[in-house]
Amino acid sequence: MNDDSLDLLKGTLDVLVLKALTWGPRHGYAVARWIEDATRGTLQIEEGALYHALHRLEKKRWVASEWGVSETNRRAKYYTLTAAGRQQYVAQTATWARYAEAVSSALAMA
Amino acid sequence: MTLPTGIRRAFRLALRRPRIDEEVDNEVEFHLAMRTADLVERGYTPEAARAEAQRRFGDTKQWSMAMSELDRERAAYDRRTEWLGDLRQDLRYGVRSAIRAPLFSLLAVSTLALGIGANAAMFGVVKSVLLDALPYRDPDRLVRMYGHFAAGSDNRGPLSAGTVNDIAQRQKSFTGVASFSGLPQDAIYIDEGGPRVVKAAWVEPALFTTLGVPAALGRLLRDDDAASDTVYSIVLPHTTWHRMFSGDTAVVGRRVHLNGLPRTIVGVLPKGFVGPVAGADVYFPLSLRPALRDPIRARRSHWLSLVGRLKPGVTVDAARGEMVAIAADLAREHPRDNGGITIATVAVRDAMVGDTRRPLVVLMASAGLVLLITCANLAGALLSRTVSRRKEFAVRVALGAGRGRLVRQLLAESTVLALVGGVAGVLLAALGLRALRGLALPSLPEYAQLSLDGAALLVTAATAVATGLAFGLAPALSASRSNVQGTLRDETRGASESLGSRRVRGFLVAGQIALCVSLLAGAGLLARSLWAMTTAPLGFNAESALTFAIQLGPSYGTADSRLRFQEQFLERARALPGVSAVATTSELPTQVMNRNGFTVEGAPLPADDAQPFALYVAVSDDYFRTLGIQLEDGRTFNASDAGGPPVLVIGEAMAKRYWPKGNAVGSRLRVGPNPNAPLITVVGVVADVRNDPARMDPEPILYASIRQNPWNSPVVVVRTLGDPLAMVKPLQRELAAIDPTLPLYRPATLRDVVGNGLAGRRLPVVLMTAFGALALLLASVGVYAMFASMAAAREREFGVRVALGAGRGNIAGLVLRQGGMWLGLGLAGGALGVVAVTRLIGDLLFGVGPFDPMTLGITVSTLVACAALALVVPIRRATRADPITTLR
Repeated sequence: MNDDSLDLLKGTLDVLVLKALTWGPRHGYAVARWIEDATRGTLQIEEGALYHALHRLEKKRWVASEWGVSETNRRAKYYTLTAAGRQQYVAQTATWARYAEAVSSALAMA
Repeated sequence: MTLPTGIRRAFRLALRRPRIDEEVDNEVEFHLAMRTADLVERGYTPEAARAEAQRRFGDTKQWSMAMSELDRERAAYDRRTEWLGDLRQDLRYGVRSAIRAPLFSLLAVSTLALGIGANAAMFGVVKSVLLDALPYRDPDRLVRMYGHFAAGSDNRGPLSAGTVNDIAQRQKSFTGVASFSGLPQDAIYIDEGGPRVVKAAWVEPALFTTLGVPAALGRLLRDDDAASDTVYSIVLPHTTWHRMFSGDTAVVGRRVHLNGLPRTIVGVLPKGFVGPVAGADVYFPLSLRPALRDPIRARRSHWLSLVGRLKPGVTVDAARGEMVAIAADLAREHPRDNGGITIATVAVRDAMVGDTRRPLVVLMASAGLVLLITCANLAGALLSRTVSRRKEFAVRVALGAGRGRLVRQLLAESTVLALVGGVAGVLLAALGLRALRGLALPSLPEYAQLSLDGAALLVTAATAVATGLAFGLAPALSASRSNVQGTLRDETRGASESLGSRRVRGFLVAGQIALCVSLLAGAGLLARSLWAMTTAPLGFNAESALTFAIQLGPSYGTADSRLRFQEQFLERARALPGVSAVATTSELPTQVMNRNGFTVEGAPLPADDAQPFALYVAVSDDYFRTLGIQLEDGRTFNASDAGGPPVLVIGEAMAKRYWPKGNAVGSRLRVGPNPNAPLITVVGVVADVRNDPARMDPEPILYASIRQNPWNSPVVVVRTLGDPLAMVKPLQRELAAIDPTLPLYRPATLRDVVGNGLAGRRLPVVLMTAFGALALLLASVGVYAMFASMAAAREREFGVRVALGAGRGNIAGLVLRQGGMWLGLGLAGGALGVVAVTRLIGDLLFGVGPFDPMTLGITVSTLVACAALALVVPIRRATRADPITTLR
């Protein structure tokens, strides 16, 4: 963890979690590892918050969960993107891109 | 063979969802373990790795709680949607299964429609009579007060002006009291259309404020309206205003002629107002002052009704106590006049509902019994349907349906049937009420509107749902208890009904029979009573006789002129072809309201110092001959009584009671409250006439001659040779020939007049008989259904028995024994029901004992006959059991 890591922006976590699930069912630890790798450790999040997000998304019916057996042969809870979740992912990605672009271009002004 | 319970239990446990907290803990633990393993791989010691994993996760406890909370909310939401989804599915399935068995559904729905419809209609009546608000402000605070003569039968008698005045001055229970003349008086109203008779009610002006009724138009009566005889103000009820003045708003201030005197209409009462005086067309202001000034009339003439509004916090009981105390004081102060009179205090609703409460309660209870029979019947039918559908249920349970779910689904099916039945029932009830309106309205209080309003519909809907649950419960529970494994495996051998279910059905049938017997016995007793009332001799000949009334106007002010008119009219009428006899009377038999106190000369005063009362009518010479009333002793009236010493003819019952030695003729008595009234000689004794057809024993009656007591509103009785009503026109011509200003009104045959008096008695009989017939039909179907399915269920067994050599008779005996037991149980239960029913309707019986052997015999034999009829088909089927087909 480095000190430059950005505070998590609101809603960012949700869209990252959705993204992590676009390749198929994953358990919570796999999602955590993917976010770590994908952001190269830029985002400093409490992993508890990540799980909270998973359950929140499940309550919204954007993801569904099921118990299965992990690669290490242990019982693990696997999350899958639902059809509604996939739509959300597309919509939120677009929003995020517009937002990021706007902020970047504003900061790029001389 | 079934699975050991332990294994089943183990399965259920596995299917059960783990608890939410456990799941969350497992998930978090998995994460921590994975992270620790990763870190160890990267060179951490296991302890350091675990600590680092923990640090990265954050507060485990807090996050776990937050996750559990989210999961719980989700689960609750899921349960709700699942429940609703299941319900929708159940209902859809219910409709589908109803459509799949159209005959059964049709039968169930029509049975339910009859049961629910009967209840909805009865509730419509009960609600409008007993529950709906009376058309007054705070009607629960209003009470009526009556004079109760200790010696007489009349416990709702009128009060004297003196008593009313004393009550008004002494009472502390009421914010106000107001009196009115209990009976409306006929008055002649003359307009362009000619003379007409209207009913005038004399009321103290305070009556309207006491009742809390505002004027719809103009103003209501004020005290100064009654203060002087020179001011003639009147108030119209809404109906009169519409009927006679076509709702003209300019009617206030108009002068009209009533009894030849000009009167001014000062106001109109609101729509829906129902006065305490039945059938009043117009209200006159009443002042007690003239009556109070007259020493005899003040205390000895009882003609007033009294209504009061309770002060806040005062109960009817408290007011009753105060009135009894005042009556006791008055009896001490005026022993001769108020002795033996107490005051009965009754809530206004009770006063208005009067005698209709008991029949209505009986009928509502009967309708309830019919619904119970309906439930029992359908429960039985559904039970046998459940038996044949056992396979279907077993499959569903095997596929994972919970037992609760199965019960729910069957209840949904029965509720669907009940709701459809309820809708059809409401339609039936609406039709029924329309039919009832003609039959019932004359015998119901005037304010009752027979209609199904929102509240009645709501109650009906609730009844329908409750009915569906009630008759669906037993079959549903029995279906859920069935043995899945056995049913699925053993296709044919398990086809006979379980003992428990058969017993339930037996009890249902026995219950139906018991209820049916009770209802039929009640209906039979009431029908016998009505029969006894209509056929028991009334004491006069009501056939081929015409009656009508004539109102003599103010120009007939003297007794002489009234007598002259009557003699003149009688003579002309007698001369008409088609008339065999004609007479006048003050009131028709069975309709006499006028009662007078009397004192027999030389007889000791009764212990409580109160006068006995007798019916009092004034009749013409030919009255007894015209009505066919036998002369028993002495003579009837004749021309010699004109101007002669005062004479009376009395009824036989009275003669026997007061002159047991048979010396009535020639003895003398005083009539009326005045102790110095002239002594009147009894010149004749005639056969009794029952004035109240609903009472067996005739009341004492006094007949005076019109020659000595000419009434100003004579009622004419004409005995005709042909159709009585055909004589109205010629008689009207004769009347007009004497005086064209006199109206001939209320023409009717004497038979109809007497019959209308029994209208109120006819209603419960007709309805209860209808309910009884319905119950009989339902119970017969129930008996049939039980025996049919019982025989069908044991068909294989019978086949075996026949194969082993049993005869047809043995088989029939088997079926009969099994069914006969339930029949016997039903009849025994019915005996209890009959006791309850007779207790309830005891007061309504007439000329028949509560345990009338004939009624009970007919009831039981009708029922047994119907049951036997219902048995024929199943028994024939059972005895035809073919060993070859059933055993193959």
